[in-house]
Amino acid sequence: MARYEFKLPDIGEGIAEAEIVAWHVAVGDEVKEDQQLADMMTDKATVEMESPVAGRVVEVAGEVGDQIAIGSVLVVFETEAGAGASAPTLQQEGTETTADGERTDTVALGDGLVAPTPAQEQAIPSAKEEQPSPPARPEPVESAVPSTPPPSGGEEQQAQAKAQVLASPAVRQRARDLGIDLASVKTTADRVRHSDLDAYLLYNGGSVPRPGAATRQDEVVKVVGLRRKIAENMQEAKRRIPHFTLVEEFDVTALEQTRAMMNSDRGGNPKLTMLPFLITAMCRVLPEFPQLNTRYDDDENVLYRSGAVHMGVATQTPNGLMVPVIRNAQSRSIWELAREVVRLAEGARTGKAAREELSGSTITLSSLGPMGGITSTPVINRPEVAIIAVNKVEEKPVVIEGELEIRKRMNLSLSCDHRVVDGWDAANFLQAMKKVIESPLKLLSM
Amino acid sequence: MSVMNMIQALNSAHRVMMERDPNCVVLGEDVGYFGGVFRVTEGLQKEFGKQRSFDAPISENGIMAVAIGMAAYGLKPIAEIQFADYIYPGFDQIVSEAAKIRYRSAGGWGLSMVVRSPYGGGIFGGQTHSQSPEALFAHVAGIKTVIPSNPYDAKGLLIAAIEDPDPVVFFEPKRIYNGPFDGFYERPVTPWAKHPAAEVPDGHYTVPLGKAAVARAGEAVTILAYGTMVHVAIATAEAEGIDAEVIDLRTIVPVDIETIEESVKKTGRCVVLHEATRTAGFGAELSALVQERCFYHLEAPVQRVTGYDTPYPHSLEWAYFPGPVRLGLALKKVLED
Repeated sequence: MARYEFKLPDIGEGIAEAEIVAWHVAVGDEVKEDQQLADMMTDKATVEMESPVAGRVVEVAGEVGDQIAIGSVLVVFETEAGAGASAPTLQQEGTETTADGERTDTVALGDGLVAPTPAQEQAIPSAKEEQPSPPARPEPVESAVPSTPPPSGGEEQQAQAKAQVLASPAVRQRARDLGIDLASVKTTADRVRHSDLDAYLLYNGGSVPRPGAATRQDEVVKVVGLRRKIAENMQEAKRRIPHFTLVEEFDVTALEQTRAMMNSDRGGNPKLTMLPFLITAMCRVLPEFPQLNTRYDDDENVLYRSGAVHMGVATQTPNGLMVPVIRNAQSRSIWELAREVVRLAEGARTGKAAREELSGSTITLSSLGPMGGITSTPVINRPEVAIIAVNKVEEKPVVIEGELEIRKRMNLSLSCDHRVVDGWDAANFLQAMKKVIESPLKLLSM
Repeated sequence: MSVMNMIQALNSAHRVMMERDPNCVVLGEDVGYFGGVFRVTEGLQKEFGKQRSFDAPISENGIMAVAIGMAAYGLKPIAEIQFADYIYPGFDQIVSEAAKIRYRSAGGWGLSMVVRSPYGGGIFGGQTHSQSPEALFAHVAGIKTVIPSNPYDAKGLLIAAIEDPDPVVFFEPKRIYNGPFDGFYERPVTPWAKHPAAEVPDGHYTVPLGKAAVARAGEAVTILAYGTMVHVAIATAEAEGIDAEVIDLRTIVPVDIETIEESVKKTGRCVVLHEATRTAGFGAELSALVQERCFYHLEAPVQRVTGYDTPYPHSLEWAYFPGPVRLGLALKKVLED
């Protein structure tokens, strides 16, 4: 009689352990080869474990509900095979599995290779584990020849065995590229086919490395110039300013109608975007909220509240984000603002903007137009204390006085410097904004 | 441009080259006065005289030896062996002399000569008029072996062969001299006139040696063929509804491995088709090359469809001929997985 220890195989890459959800055998049972032993559940699937040998069950690893580490002994059999021989003895449960669940035994490469190629070493992390003895090539269980005494100490290789895996060269190559051990791919045919690999990939989801080389080369990019400036500003803003962001939804149905109307009769003026309206709304409301239209010298602990609104308009340029400034926005008409937005954006993009056109803002507006997402957490343009990001306008079902209506809605995301602006201020400001934005007549007549 | 069958195209190649090059001479059994048993040299003696196109005794050994001597002295002999089945008495001259002169003279002395010979079966010629001995010549280093499959290629390849500075063995698939026989022997034979490759320029042009042609583009499987078998391959692919790519090798030595490789890497499957006997046939070389070059792209073992390892039978011609039935089975087999 020989002792045969069946270890829980690697039933899915990246899985460290599996739960016993059912036993189909008990200690003392005689089992045949391929007889169902247990159902093991991972977070991906429940897998039926079948006996690799015929024999009598002498030990099981645990009860239903127990977690068993991959690679640890699940069932111990007494088998006829290998009688009189010292069947490989096995170390205690679990010792084959490292803390992170990587198997430390040699991975049979399954396609006749006994040592991993460099590519495989990269693709199969566990194949990197060093083996003291030459990795054994799988051979049939039935022929598990009584071996010489097990390799001293360490993890010995079970002279366990599997029939050679058959597959076409193309399938082998694909499996190799994918880092898949062909021996672990199930097939109903006499050889592993592409469809079997497909099924294996499907079952294993993204846990198998994608085939082929990276679709892009690695790159090293120095952070210089405007990018470095942006990086420093952003880092300083986030380091110094405790941001909070408040998002409010606005009904812009009427505003959009007004905008369309004005655009249809705009003459030689540039097409109106949402920006001139929002800038105007801010200019109308901000006098009541001076704590938002402020430059904060946080080294000196002084707030410079601005009477005028110098509106920073975040603008994407080929080199990165720039914030040209519309001076005295409060004294400009919608059309003037539209022209100014276009002029400054053009200046920023072409690098022709003057220095004073790129500094001195007291509050900033950032808009990505239709790409503005549903909400955002804008980063304050230091030393200002507030910034509004414009989110996209979208038709939505809205309940208005008990009736379901389809309205154009838009979010504004307001970030404030919590050192000097309270949530109360921000909320009140947005409510005041709401009044003018949702009533274009009021907005344009104020 | 004229519409020509293969015989007319080959005859045209002779005329073009004999007009251009006074060193071009034609010799062989019945090639002069009679114009060749298949009429390839018809009218050449009348036009160019008995010194340029002359009959030889029934001695292939002699024909080869004389041609080699002429070539060594700077003529450009085009020697016809009436049937490839008769070439063996001249084989020693070809192997021991023609193929070796370039090497023996340390590159200083080449033999610019062509040995033309009709070959292949499907014409009820039995063992003595149907053989395909191309592999014997492919195995001999120092000679090129060319096999056209249509009138356009036949003329262009023959001119290229005549202009080649070294000996070229030029096998003409006689079953398709008059029409592109496709192996469906119960169907009426279509003449070349209906085939696009029957449009042949009247003047000088060449089809380069060593360059294969994609005779039919496809994605599912690559069929490597030459001569008559190109038409069998195309017709079988159509009949079976298989999207096969048919490569017409045109020259078996040197073989255009790049075209083969590109195709097999694309399809992942390959069937080699030739009429010659199987063992050590040229298909074995092709199969080995494909395996060496495309192993990791192969979805299935390379299949060979060939004649049997027997003499070409007097009867049961269509049982021997590797036609659409055997090719169809091989295609299905190679497409199984």
